Amino acid sequence: MRAVVVAAHRTVRSVIDLACREAGVTVVDTVETAAAATEACRVSGPELLVLDLELPDADGFRVLTDLGDDRPRSVLVLADRADGDLVLRALRLGARGYVTKAEGLRDLAATIRRVVAGERVMTPALEKDAMGALGRMARRAREGAEVEAGLTPRERQVLELLGGGSTIGQIASRLGISPRTVETHVAKLYRKLGVRTRVQAIARAATLGLVDL
Amino acid sequence: MNDTTRDDGRKSVSPLGVVLVEPFAVVRAGLIRIIEASPGLEVLASVASADEAIGVLDRLRRGRAVILVAMGLAGDQDAYWLIRALRERFPGYVILGMGANADPNAISRALFTGADGFVDKNVEVEEFVAAIRASGEDEVVIVGPAAASVGTIAEGIERRRSPTFRLTRREREVLVVASEGLTAREIADRLGVRERTVTTHLARIYGKLGVGNRLAALRLAARSGLVSIRQDE
Repeated sequence: MRAVVVAAHRTVRSVIDLACREAGVTVVDTVETAAAATEACRVSGPELLVLDLELPDADGFRVLTDLGDDRPRSVLVLADRADGDLVLRALRLGARGYVTKAEGLRDLAATIRRVVAGERVMTPALEKDAMGALGRMARRAREGAEVEAGLTPRERQVLELLGGGSTIGQIASRLGISPRTVETHVAKLYRKLGVRTRVQAIARAATLGLVDL
Repeated sequence: MNDTTRDDGRKSVSPLGVVLVEPFAVVRAGLIRIIEASPGLEVLASVASADEAIGVLDRLRRGRAVILVAMGLAGDQDAYWLIRALRERFPGYVILGMGANADPNAISRALFTGADGFVDKNVEVEEFVAAIRASGEDEVVIVGPAAASVGTIAEGIERRRSPTFRLTRREREVLVVASEGLTAREIADRLGVRERTVTTHLARIYGKLGVGNRLAALRLAARSGLVSIRQDE
């Protein structure tokens, strides 16, 4: 069993190194940055990646997105912060364990053993938060799809342009319709999104995934 | 025995009501026993179909209840149909999907259509009961073998969110070929169908994606990764 270890601080790195050794895992590379981590994983194809989220050049998620399907089978995330959204994001990117540095460094060897054995490792509280984040995500997706299904093609175009920062006048000339008509579309959009102002409309549309900001 | 006569001024916590929607009589009977034997839980109703479920809930006067919906409901009014209908008509109730060795995809779909959680019948009884209790506390629970695939479940939800997910396979094919900038005639030749069929497909695609023309359709399709288009716009 071989591992790549990524952590910004020397102390954390040596704690992880030690824990890996204790868990019977050979550390093939220890690096400090996201870029070096991606490279190290590509070169040595380890079975385990112990990943610090707070890296100097990018956040640790970057390593997982860059590696894509080539990421190691077992990924253990170490982080300063933990909340439902962060944990859900880590899980979506293939992480199996998520521990905070404040609490997780003490019994790290045991955690590594479990992660390598295929278990999902995190505190029950974190697990609950991640499920909550999943539920919120499902609700937003559903609401977004519902709102979207209720928009006319014209309203959708107007919304997209609004999201891109266009003014009423710009939208009118872009679509070849009168500003007055654009305003009518905008009013209908507000109603369908359940908002009163343009800023609210864009924020709401972004939350629902209808426009990219 | 009338419980209200024993009221000694202390507010007793009312039990969490459960409504069961399970097509198989034997499973239903088992679930009723399990729930009735669990302190703090009571079965308010148990039915076998989506139709009956809505009928029962229309008459139910409860502020809070967990509705257990078996994913095995079949027919036009299947479990997903029921979950969506319940979400619209009874937004205050907790909807818990209940399956047997369900895959992550089924769970994504249940959550996307409106379920608040999912529990597999293939878990220990205590775990099953704990899932009902937790969902009654507004927690999102996913309990069972597929619980390990939270990432996959989340991906599935995201995929459902993309408008191109609503296209049929044929419609996707048409759109992919259309992304090469071919005319309807050329698309028809390529796919070995009539031109008229292609224009019908395209019209339906525009309708589903809510766009007015091919360029807009392709832009949406590109955003969801279905096709790739050159960046020369």
